[in-house]
Amino acid sequence: MRTTPRTFAAALVLASAAVARAEVIDASATTVVTAGQQLRGALPGVTPGLDTVAPVYELISLQAHDLRNPLFQNLEVVVAGWASYDTADRRWNSGSTDNFTGDLTAGYVRGQLFSRALTLRLGRAYVAAGAGRMLQLDGGDLLLRLPGGLSLSAFGGAPVAQRFRTRAGEQSWNPAGGDLAYGGRLGWTLPLPGVYGRGLDIGASYVEVTDAKLTVKDPTDPAGLRTFTDGGGNVVRQDAGLDFRLQPGAALVLTASGTYALAAGRVAELNAAALWTASERVFVTADFKRLAPDLFLSQNSILSVFTDRERTDLGGGVRWQATQATSLGADYHVLVEPTGEGGKTELGHEAAARAEWEAGHSRLGAELSYLVAGALGTGQNGYVGGRVFGRRDLGRAFVTGDVQLHSFKQEINGTKLAVQGTLSAGYALAGGWSAVVAGRAGVTPFLEQQADLLVKLVYNQTYRVREVK
Amino acid sequence: MNRHLLVAACAAFLAACAAKDTKPVPKADPPYVFPHSPHVDGDVDCKACHGSIVNSSRLEARVRHVGLPRKNSDTCNGCHDDKDFQDKIKLAIPPRTRAFDVRFDHKAHLARPGVVCTTCHKAPPEAGQAVAARVSMSACTSCHNHQADFTAARCTPCHVDLKRYEKPVAAFRHAGDFLRTHGSLARPTAETCAQCHDQTFCADCHSATTAAARPSILYPEAVQRDFIHRGDYQSRHMIDAGANPASCRKCHGSAFCEACHTQRNLTQFSPIQPQNPHPAGWGTDKAGGNFHGTAARKNIVACAGCHDSAGSAICVRCHMVGGIGGNPHPASWNRDADEIPKNAMCRACHG
Repeated sequence: MRTTPRTFAAALVLASAAVARAEVIDASATTVVTAGQQLRGALPGVTPGLDTVAPVYELISLQAHDLRNPLFQNLEVVVAGWASYDTADRRWNSGSTDNFTGDLTAGYVRGQLFSRALTLRLGRAYVAAGAGRMLQLDGGDLLLRLPGGLSLSAFGGAPVAQRFRTRAGEQSWNPAGGDLAYGGRLGWTLPLPGVYGRGLDIGASYVEVTDAKLTVKDPTDPAGLRTFTDGGGNVVRQDAGLDFRLQPGAALVLTASGTYALAAGRVAELNAAALWTASERVFVTADFKRLAPDLFLSQNSILSVFTDRERTDLGGGVRWQATQATSLGADYHVLVEPTGEGGKTELGHEAAARAEWEAGHSRLGAELSYLVAGALGTGQNGYVGGRVFGRRDLGRAFVTGDVQLHSFKQEINGTKLAVQGTLSAGYALAGGWSAVVAGRAGVTPFLEQQADLLVKLVYNQTYRVREVK
Repeated sequence: MNRHLLVAACAAFLAACAAKDTKPVPKADPPYVFPHSPHVDGDVDCKACHGSIVNSSRLEARVRHVGLPRKNSDTCNGCHDDKDFQDKIKLAIPPRTRAFDVRFDHKAHLARPGVVCTTCHKAPPEAGQAVAARVSMSACTSCHNHQADFTAARCTPCHVDLKRYEKPVAAFRHAGDFLRTHGSLARPTAETCAQCHDQTFCADCHSATTAAARPSILYPEAVQRDFIHRGDYQSRHMIDAGANPASCRKCHGSAFCEACHTQRNLTQFSPIQPQNPHPAGWGTDKAGGNFHGTAARKNIVACAGCHDSAGSAICVRCHMVGGIGGNPHPASWNRDADEIPKNAMCRACHG
């Protein structure tokens, strides 16, 4: 998982050079400086310490569309990446043991051939369709549209880890766990006459992730020095999926999907949802989800052999556009959780409500949230949350405010309350530039007093090299 | 070496932005100056002013296809009594600079029988109006059945680029708790999502492995957006993880959890003696309610947050064949015994 990053950096350079020939370019550059404190651990009984972190980030994003070329239609180059430097202590979530680091969040070249029947993509991208589960890959994929509404997609590559050497000091954060991933989806669409969106989509998909080489300590060796070494090729994930979308009319959309873990011989995930536009002002959803969390662990993890418990959540929500300026919404889901004893379950509850008012240059909102998953006890907690926020536009300037409060059912680190407020102000400068200053302060279970500062300079611009034909 | 490449990439980016042949797009055109509605009501032929549109096979940003009638022509004098009115009002048509959002062939359409300008342009712009009303897509679909194109997400032959629409409309409306439902919608129709969203948009939330920071940190001013992990998430993350552990695993590998837990001195990887987060009776007290086996059966993903990469050393010590922990597999365990010699994980206990 620590392959050289040179290829990706070279691709970034090439892509950046290529955009000058593109027809439409969306470019964004953001410089962010933050300063605050992060908690670090300490010996038992000793007060934990605080580290001052003040990273400087540079985030860039380029999307170049309609690149002029003799071969592909809709050729596009998409690159998004960042670099940062920790000017004080190193933050925990940099993924690096170096003060200077950076990574590529997305970067690919995509083009279409044969009157858009074949779409090819090469680079760092997500597999969103079917059982892909937003698998982020360094690799390639294709989509072939066949007659009769059939489509065939395939992908292959290496699940994304932090590849740049500046980030090699930490273990891989790759959630897929493996080194090689491949799969595809066969889909069929049946468009129905009438309103837009009306139709049926059905798909069957397959995803396999394998590891390259595994070294495991021999537990029978008291010194802990002896290891097993596996030649690789072990299945980390091997899922078959089905997905479905039906829109019988303008107002109703039904979706369902399921994933079956072939190696474990069990269903890993089931989803179903109904989205109903009851009227111009009322939107109703109902959804069901059943998951087997252990099948979301890499199947080469020893922990994946210990349990087979499933979790279900079921519920729905309503959104009501009460007036042109005011919208209200509420959601509730019941959570069916395993107790850990036999097949017994207990119920948890998740609820949320939101009200929003927007008129002229002002916007106000309020949110309530509630979560308790199962019976409260050791290792099981819950919270009631509230949030109010607002924004006021003042010509080229704006100010926003945001206050969040959470009351926990059981004490966390000796307290039951977390409060945090953020104030920000921004100004749209000339030529696509804008600036934002934000300050955040709060009292939380892990930090009795917390304060952070952020200064941001943003450049956002769309360029058109030539007229649209 | 790699930092040099990153710096070079940043420099290339800046160079690309400064390319000479790129021109920033103006934010808006000047307001319209011509009162269309009285002329439409007066049955004035649109082509009296827009004569060249009948030969236009494509939309061009800087071309309005406007040519006002000659002075004292019958077209104007039929209604305007004052023969010098054109001199008095000094109608100057400002150039259009904004690019069009769609591709359209007026020449081909106007040549069809029964098609006139008002077939599509139901509400032409009035004097002072900043932006013309967008022609409804129902104007297209009243003649064309684009359902197959829609379902196959082939929007771009007509739409130049959907990415610059301000809000999703009609069938694409992202109403309700879209954070919860968008995944179900994307699985069968990912290509439809891609018509508007580059993957850089997805990466804002989905790139936990490679992101600079979570979106609510980088965009504190976006108070109206439904960001995940907003605010003091450190205090809430274990509660959310207890409610839906699989959700965490979609983006975060165990090493991500360990990166923080190690610094908080909560794992066996900590450089100093770890603080034991487990309650009394964790090891062996099955009746006490705090037994580790019960907790593991309930939420094994929570165990993985600290013990995934060391599971073989910690768990196998007791749970190996012949060990005091006994058989750890759940009742549904049905893996093939042939897998044991091929799989290092199996051999850890069954070696």
